[in-house]
Amino acid sequence: MKIIVAIKQVPDRDAPIRIDAAGKWIEESDLQYAMNEPDAYALEEALQLKEKHGGEVIVLSAGPESVGTTIREALAKGADRAIHIVCDDLASRDALGVARLLAEAAKQESPDLLLTGLQSEDLGLGQTGVIVAELLGLPHATLILHVEKTDTGIEVKRELEEGWFQTIQLPTPAVLTIQSGGAKLRYATLMGIKRAKMKEVKQLAAADLASATAPVVVLEQLALPRKQRSTQMLAGTPKETAAALVEKLRTEAHVL
Amino acid sequence: MLVSLPAFAEPQRFSLAEKLLFTALTIASAWAFWLRFGVVLNKILKSKKDPGFHLFPIAKRVRDFVWEVLFQAKVIRERPLAGLAHAFVFWAFCAFALVTLNHAADAFGIPFLDPAGPVSRFYFYFAAVFAAACAIGILALFIRRFLIRPKWLGEKLSWESGFIALLIFVLMVTYLASFFVADTGTSVRLLWWVHTLALLIFLPIIPHTKHLHLLLSPFTVFLSRGSFSQIPPLNGDEDFGLIAGADLTQIVSLQAYSCVECGRCTEHCPAANTGKLLNPKEIILGVRAYLNDLGPACDQPLLGKYNSQQAVFQCTTCGACEFQCPVGIEHLPILVGLRRGAVNTGAWDDNYGAKLFLNLERGSNSLGLNPAERDKFIEKQQLPIFDGTQEYCLWLGCMGGYDPKGREIVADFARIMNYLGSSYGVLRKEKCTGDPVRRLGNDLLFQQLAEANLEVLAQNKVKKIVTICPHCVRTIQEDWKEYGVPPEIEHHSEFLARFADKLPSQPAEGYGLQNEGYGLQNEGYGLQNEGDGLQNEGYGLQNEGYGLQNEGYGLQNEGYGLQNEGDGLQNEGYGLQNEGYGLQNEGYGLQNEGYGLQPVHPILPNSPGALAPDVSPSRVPQVPLLGPGNEKIVFHDPCYLGRYRNVYEEPRTVAALAGELVEAPRNRERSFCCGAGGGLTFLGEETGERVSHHRAAELVATGAQTIATACPFCNSMFRDALASTGEPAPHLLDIAQLVARSIPPANSQTR
Amino acid sequence: MSGILVVQEERGFGRNRFSQEALAAGHVLAALTGLSMETAVVGDKNTPILAETSGTPAATAYAVEHPLLNTYTSDGYVLAFEQLIRKLNPAYILFPHSYQVRDFVPRLAARFDQVLIGDVAAIEAGPSFTRQLFQGKVNARYRHRGDGPCFISIQAGAFRPDPPTAGTTTIYPFVPEIASDAIRTRPSEPFRAAAQAVDLSSAQMIVSVGRGIKNQENIALVQNLADALGAELAASRPICDNGWLPMDRQVGSSGQTIAPKLYIAAGISGAIQHVVGMKASQCIVAINKDPGAPIFEVADYGIVGDLMEVVPAITDAVKAAKQ
Repeated sequence: MKIIVAIKQVPDRDAPIRIDAAGKWIEESDLQYAMNEPDAYALEEALQLKEKHGGEVIVLSAGPESVGTTIREALAKGADRAIHIVCDDLASRDALGVARLLAEAAKQESPDLLLTGLQSEDLGLGQTGVIVAELLGLPHATLILHVEKTDTGIEVKRELEEGWFQTIQLPTPAVLTIQSGGAKLRYATLMGIKRAKMKEVKQLAAADLASATAPVVVLEQLALPRKQRSTQMLAGTPKETAAALVEKLRTEAHVL
Repeated sequence: MLVSLPAFAEPQRFSLAEKLLFTALTIASAWAFWLRFGVVLNKILKSKKDPGFHLFPIAKRVRDFVWEVLFQAKVIRERPLAGLAHAFVFWAFCAFALVTLNHAADAFGIPFLDPAGPVSRFYFYFAAVFAAACAIGILALFIRRFLIRPKWLGEKLSWESGFIALLIFVLMVTYLASFFVADTGTSVRLLWWVHTLALLIFLPIIPHTKHLHLLLSPFTVFLSRGSFSQIPPLNGDEDFGLIAGADLTQIVSLQAYSCVECGRCTEHCPAANTGKLLNPKEIILGVRAYLNDLGPACDQPLLGKYNSQQAVFQCTTCGACEFQCPVGIEHLPILVGLRRGAVNTGAWDDNYGAKLFLNLERGSNSLGLNPAERDKFIEKQQLPIFDGTQEYCLWLGCMGGYDPKGREIVADFARIMNYLGSSYGVLRKEKCTGDPVRRLGNDLLFQQLAEANLEVLAQNKVKKIVTICPHCVRTIQEDWKEYGVPPEIEHHSEFLARFADKLPSQPAEGYGLQNEGYGLQNEGYGLQNEGDGLQNEGYGLQNEGYGLQNEGYGLQNEGYGLQNEGDGLQNEGYGLQNEGYGLQNEGYGLQNEGYGLQPVHPILPNSPGALAPDVSPSRVPQVPLLGPGNEKIVFHDPCYLGRYRNVYEEPRTVAALAGELVEAPRNRERSFCCGAGGGLTFLGEETGERVSHHRAAELVATGAQTIATACPFCNSMFRDALASTGEPAPHLLDIAQLVARSIPPANSQTR
Repeated sequence: MSGILVVQEERGFGRNRFSQEALAAGHVLAALTGLSMETAVVGDKNTPILAETSGTPAATAYAVEHPLLNTYTSDGYVLAFEQLIRKLNPAYILFPHSYQVRDFVPRLAARFDQVLIGDVAAIEAGPSFTRQLFQGKVNARYRHRGDGPCFISIQAGAFRPDPPTAGTTTIYPFVPEIASDAIRTRPSEPFRAAAQAVDLSSAQMIVSVGRGIKNQENIALVQNLADALGAELAASRPICDNGWLPMDRQVGSSGQTIAPKLYIAAGISGAIQHVVGMKASQCIVAINKDPGAPIFEVADYGIVGDLMEVVPAITDAVKAAKQ
């Protein structure tokens, strides 16, 4: 199977986020970057499919030069080659704009499957994969935990709300967005990194693929939430604290 | 007188037939020897060269050779009786060198040692002493192996050992018997031939058995890697560790063939002692079996048929095996090498291991916690930030920065440093030193962590580091050398020991200077001394009256002050009430080894000067025993501080400030691991008995009220172990916490 | 182009709170823009949500019916709503930010050269739409540009459903054209995870018990809370070591690492070995007698008290809330 895995390099999950002076974006100067974790799961799913059925895993990523480290990490974990869409103005493109770049690059490869993480840890839109499916005219499924190859295409296990699941049959080629936690991630090894040095990374210029059109959704301003994440101690009688807790879980934490 | 001692008898003449027979047998024996030894030598030499090996500096090698091989120091020290027996066998072999040569020369009529000459005669007797000792020794060892059968020698009886013991016995007995026969006649000739046959049968057996160590172990000891647990660097882009035979180096092969199967490594192994699969002896023998069957150029995996991956990942890297080995086998680089082969290629598929690696790939600490937690801790404790101007960088480490108990230790140590007026700061950001991934064999991650940390340290201009964790100390000082030049680093026990005299040596409640009256009430200098002050191992100044009430200098002395090993100044009356200089002396003051005031040199009340040496002890009042004793503290030697760094006394010096030290049965270099090392604390459930429980039980059995640790991992492991016994457990405190108890709170954080 | 279309998602009688919240968001938007509001839902005119939201100011509702829409597929829903939107030409289309919406609406929006503004937590003057970035660390305000319709999905719990008002809503059927070969995916019936092994990692909510529970009998209290929440029961290591709960319910460094939406730690001190196993939970509630217990440092909500009293009280409160 020829599988493309679209990955994104995002700021480290635990990094403290500071808003820049203009209030329009975050301070990037001392941020560490890493592979978006759902994309790591997508990569893992792809690698397991390759190990089972043979084929090729191609990593696809759009971004500036620095994305190279994340691409190499994916190659070190077992991807065969990579396509780097060099793009310095990724933030000025909306999800549709980014998806256009990815779709154009993917079109040239005609993959059997295109996998990507469910959503990114920075913007958290969860749409890019789905839009790519639309642009490529391919069937898709989201929140996928597991992929099996079948005679007619693939069967996937999808997560539903409240602890339910379902399986879906799709033909290939198809696009899947992968949920975290489905597979067991593999760790990067020395052998992987050494081998990665010899794998091909094809660079494409963003402008060649799709010119940036005016975004339809524009980020106006960033602000820190008024309530910082800190421990709220609830006081009172057991009955009072219980009631307060349930209320907060419903309205503040949105978990009930 | 020499003339009355029997002379050594040798056959005077050998017939041509005998000479020919002797020659033929010797050639046959030598040929049979070479048939096997040549193969072994070839396997060793054909193994890969060791990239990091340096013959120089040679002084340590020579020293170790003399001490370990010639003097048999480790052999004797770690198993005294058996070791001594073996030492005699070895020394006899050495002493016999000339005898054996002479024996052979005699066959051709050219013996060079004349039994009548004084030098030779002396030499023969000299050798005879050793022969006797050897005969007794080998007999004792035989009895030990075949009758007593200690479990470390293995379940199976080794008939080859028995046979060789017999040969050695025969060699010695025939030699000794030759003193009691005439040098003509059949007896002497028979003895000669029996001795010869024994030798010629022994020779070819050597390379087929563990007695190969006779030839190899001197080289093995001399050609060691150079330091304890020295993990060699990987060599080039295709080297991932010990995967197959082709990866075995000459040192490893030499060591594998040197194993004498004594089982000392296994005897001290925490895994082997708690029902795990891992047996360090079997690891080495597994490598040897691989070499025997497949040789060094083979690409079949080392882990599989010959050793199991599961066993290899049960090692805590405590180092007891390597430390104990009398023939110089270095187990740790081999175990880590085998792990490297599995981890660097991704062959090790372990959920917890993968989680640890993924945590460190993305994050900064081995626990997978948000670094903001460490920032919060630093802020809450008001720890100063290192800015390049302070003397010390206080390295928190993962436990010190994130673990609640580790943080308590850091907080107490910081309090002590404040009290001492030390100049220190903590770094804003730390990454894990990489110790667990280093010991698990993940070179990719280790390199990333080491390089990132070295850069941060250089940027911050850190010159000296002090830390509470021996794993950090070891990794920073030794393992980071592969990637740069680490700053100086010491463990907090070494730091504290240096300042021990400035630290308050107040024992815990109820001991030491315990009294209900005035205690050391005086209006002079009180306990002014320049020695050890109130150093005692019993009850110290326990009294219920006025104790050392005086208006002069009290216990002014320049020796040990109230050094005693009994109950010290235990009294119920006025004790040492005086109005002069009290106990002013320049010797040991009240040094006694009994109860109460029974000094070596008795002191009279009101004597302003020195001592009255001729006052008989019976004139000194006996003081009855009173009350409970000092807090008993048992110190557990951490593997990475003790065996790895040779630091045994400093933490004891520090712990002794707080109470009376007692020792666990296995202490110092024999300390039994807590079970956390080697990355194991991050892996899942152990099989068999938990190592930490095993050791905790030993520590509790000493009867100590407090278990003192010097490593946050030991602390954590014992905390769990003690909590699960369900019984009231001893206190568990780091040495810094023990000392900090006595520091007035006013000297805490704010500086 | 005019009006606001609120697309609702039928989940069964009494379980449509999410869609009601989307409707409430619609009201806010309507108030800001002065536009009128309509709703739509896949189903026939007897679809329960149409009755539940009847009267709330949406004069018109569309029941989108087609046999190929009886089971959700993204192809079906995209086609159906594309046609509805082209017909109604709304300026704004609101959805609840459900798994289903995340599955098909980005495709739908792309057909209009639009991008969905998803998981919106606040709608303010502009109109501007606020959502969270960097896992809740930052609020971001977005505006919509251009002529096309604006697609928005509403975060669960962000808007409070309005009480029903008097009046009726007219329901119009809408039958889209969907060819059978247009549906490319075949979904199965939903199922729950297999019951044999305890897989804490898939549990959305977990109630965990530690040594504060004192003895095995008291675990029933915590089990009641778990049942009331529909949560899984878990424990810290000492409980499993004692055999009070099986080892596969252990959370911690030598047990499972989990990240549910809600983690309630009852009588757990918060030793590092446990914390590393649950720190990634979205919302952590800690109940402990000791105010200095380290668990409070990682908790979002903390209650210092006797869990024997607090836990049953919470169980009652949860049951009351679910009614």
